[in-house]
Amino acid sequence: MTLTKPAAPDLLETPEWRIEGRDKVTGAARYAADIARPGMLHAAFVGSPYPHARVVSVDAEAARTMPGVRAVLAGADVRPARFGRRLQDWPVLAWDRVRFIGDRVAVVAADSLEAAEAAAAAVAVEYDELPAVFDPEAALAADAPMLHPDAAEYTYFGGTRPPRGHPNVQGHVIHEHGDVAVGFENAAAVFEHEFSVPRVHQAYIEPRASLVWIEGETVHVVTTNKAPFALREQMAVTIGVPAARIVVDTPHVGGDFGGKGLSLDEFALYFLARATGRPVRSVLRYADELQISNTRHAARIRLRTGVDRDGRITAHQARVVFDGGAYAAGKPVAGLLPGGPTLTLAGYHVPAARVEAVAVYTNTLPAGHARAPSQPQLTFAAESHLDLIARAMQIDPLELRERNAIRAGETDVDGAVWHDSLAPRVLATLRAASPSGGMAARDNGRGLAFSARHVGRGKTSLTLTLAADGSIEVLTGVADQGGGAHTMIQRVVARELGIDAARVRVRQGDTGHANVDPGVGGSRVTPVAGNAALDGARKLKARIAELGKTLDQAARIAAPLVVTGEGEQNEHLYGVYAYSIEVSVDRETGSFRVVDAVLVADVGTVINPVAVRGQLEGGFVFGLGQAVMEELHIEDGRVTTTNLADYKIPTIADAPPLRLVLITDAPGPGPFGAKSAGELANPAVGAAIANAIDAAVGVRVMSLPITAEKIRSLLRTKELRAADPE
Amino acid sequence: MRADRRLIDVLRDDLGSTGTKEGCSIGVCGACSVLVDGELLSACLLPAVFADGSVVVTVEGLAQGDELSPLQVAFIREGGFQCGICTPGQLIAATALLAEHRRPSDAEIREWMMGNLCRCTGYHGITRAIKAAAA
Repeated sequence: MTLTKPAAPDLLETPEWRIEGRDKVTGAARYAADIARPGMLHAAFVGSPYPHARVVSVDAEAARTMPGVRAVLAGADVRPARFGRRLQDWPVLAWDRVRFIGDRVAVVAADSLEAAEAAAAAVAVEYDELPAVFDPEAALAADAPMLHPDAAEYTYFGGTRPPRGHPNVQGHVIHEHGDVAVGFENAAAVFEHEFSVPRVHQAYIEPRASLVWIEGETVHVVTTNKAPFALREQMAVTIGVPAARIVVDTPHVGGDFGGKGLSLDEFALYFLARATGRPVRSVLRYADELQISNTRHAARIRLRTGVDRDGRITAHQARVVFDGGAYAAGKPVAGLLPGGPTLTLAGYHVPAARVEAVAVYTNTLPAGHARAPSQPQLTFAAESHLDLIARAMQIDPLELRERNAIRAGETDVDGAVWHDSLAPRVLATLRAASPSGGMAARDNGRGLAFSARHVGRGKTSLTLTLAADGSIEVLTGVADQGGGAHTMIQRVVARELGIDAARVRVRQGDTGHANVDPGVGGSRVTPVAGNAALDGARKLKARIAELGKTLDQAARIAAPLVVTGEGEQNEHLYGVYAYSIEVSVDRETGSFRVVDAVLVADVGTVINPVAVRGQLEGGFVFGLGQAVMEELHIEDGRVTTTNLADYKIPTIADAPPLRLVLITDAPGPGPFGAKSAGELANPAVGAAIANAIDAAVGVRVMSLPITAEKIRSLLRTKELRAADPE
Repeated sequence: MRADRRLIDVLRDDLGSTGTKEGCSIGVCGACSVLVDGELLSACLLPAVFADGSVVVTVEGLAQGDELSPLQVAFIREGGFQCGICTPGQLIAATALLAEHRRPSDAEIREWMMGNLCRCTGYHGITRAIKAAAA
């Protein structure tokens, strides 16, 4: 049996050629906004100008008679339709109450977008303003305005919604392990710091788009949602149509970064399609992306940690308050918190901990998932906190981390015991990769940050068919948001079968054709869909062996061989990573630049070398943007950074060099020992830079983004104190 | 043609050339970059009437038949894209760059490509691709 022997050289060592590469460089690749249907109408929404108000009346008479207008719907027409990924708390169109500026109350379908927008502007809505609350702590006060008096009516997927101590709580969790009181008693020193992180946007370049039409009894949806099967289930409940009669098709997705797991427009489009009998499309304007879609959660993080004389952690306590905005609809996890909300010292041995996390309703745009949910917030806090502890204890920051890095058999901050740990090795590798000796210039400084991110978990399946020409077609429901999922599947199958990658064709099917898949997210695709591809290839190989034939002979038998590959990854494992970043600070202006950055990452076996490098480089610059320049400014509930000129993301001129050191020989649970890479590079950039700034000029920035203004102001305060100690 | 009709609407809606993408709609992200008589412009800002009688090159016009341009090949080989939504604009801008500077320096690449945002690659793959195509 020659099939078992991988072709030499190993396919995995050859850089991949993206399956969709030609389409993406020629403009042939189709995205949701590129798809039109004959007779298609265009939708425009009417949003609330108030952060919290009662909807008194909606007068659509004038709008209905305008040229080209085919339908105008208000909340009363869709009541009680609400949507959401886990908790369906967001009305498709508000019928009695709006909860943030931009919350939708009506929608128009018209022959052209211009006509739809003109009619939307002509819808007269009367509101009765209610007291609003913008600060999550204030929203938890006993007499705070209540946002969701009808919470008992909301659909919650997967059981019963966890109990809440206050009606403005979305989700609340307390983790406790070990004896925290004794741990603090035994500490040689106890440190307490508070950090804050603002709202930031995923800022994919492609705005959300969707197209809905009804054919017979079937509802067709073309969407930018990266989890089409999950959208189908959510939509079935929202619109009251069985899932089997909804077909969701996600073409190429133009960037996701966590944000496109939530759909906004598809539900209203269904009601418009039903009312008009026509296909209806909506493409969000970027201004709306920044004002109404689900951002990363702002967070206030208070950390308290006791250490012994050597800086070893004895106990840890934390309280994390997440601003969840007006709806919890964007959160997919059961606790209705961003994922991993209690990992306030990820990657360390923590013998005793009590960590509380709460997500709170406020009258601001909803928050949801964003690349490595919770981690950029918590890692900024944790790694700044540890650096401050190292300074106070006069211990080298790397040394302090080496002493506390989790080892096999030890317990982490979540109370989980790690059976194996690459943490010490990652830190040793970072030590070796960091330049030793002094800084190149006086106001240069080096900071480091270390953390851990789970290897994705989940379950999926896909179908492999051996075609008569000897090629293999893989049918999968995995959408590709740019990570290279389909190429990964192709290479796993090809390597296992010992054939050329070009002989494996990967086709993405809509929810009517492909097997159920949980969607792209949570660093899941390679370990889960990759295992399904490997399982499928193995099954195919076994079938061919049973027939006593070669692959080519088997291809020519009358009935094509079809197998289902299944993949599941439920182990709770981590990929560990660490940064060392050198900055150069200008004391006059507070501005700074990154002059060197090293990332050590435990990624396991690499399937797509070009894509893994791209995930890490791209994650670095994504993390850098959210660390030093990005902030969605919100004033009294109104987003004021409403376009990509005001909400600045890094350009090519902002991208510093990055040295990558990959640890690939510690196998993970994915195919051939793969782990995950997509969420390792962005979370720790903020802390590494804050620590580097402190090392350079001796000031500490306690909030993101780390701006020149903040540094300059801290430097001025320090100078004034030095000049006048009183 | 109506004076307020943008070049991007004509390309995408009237001609069905959807390779040119619309991102920010205010001329900041560069996803809609096109060449109008060789000049690099944002199709989301340009009234279509201004392009009347001009040669407009979009991403669909970069390959010679089935043969990809060296820049297109380099974007695939070097990881110049991930999601691909900014790629048509990046390729158009980089094509214009290489027409101006046959061997652009890092600084020239940075300055020229600053108007084309990419959220996926961190720009490293794009820089590598441009240098590879210029070599």
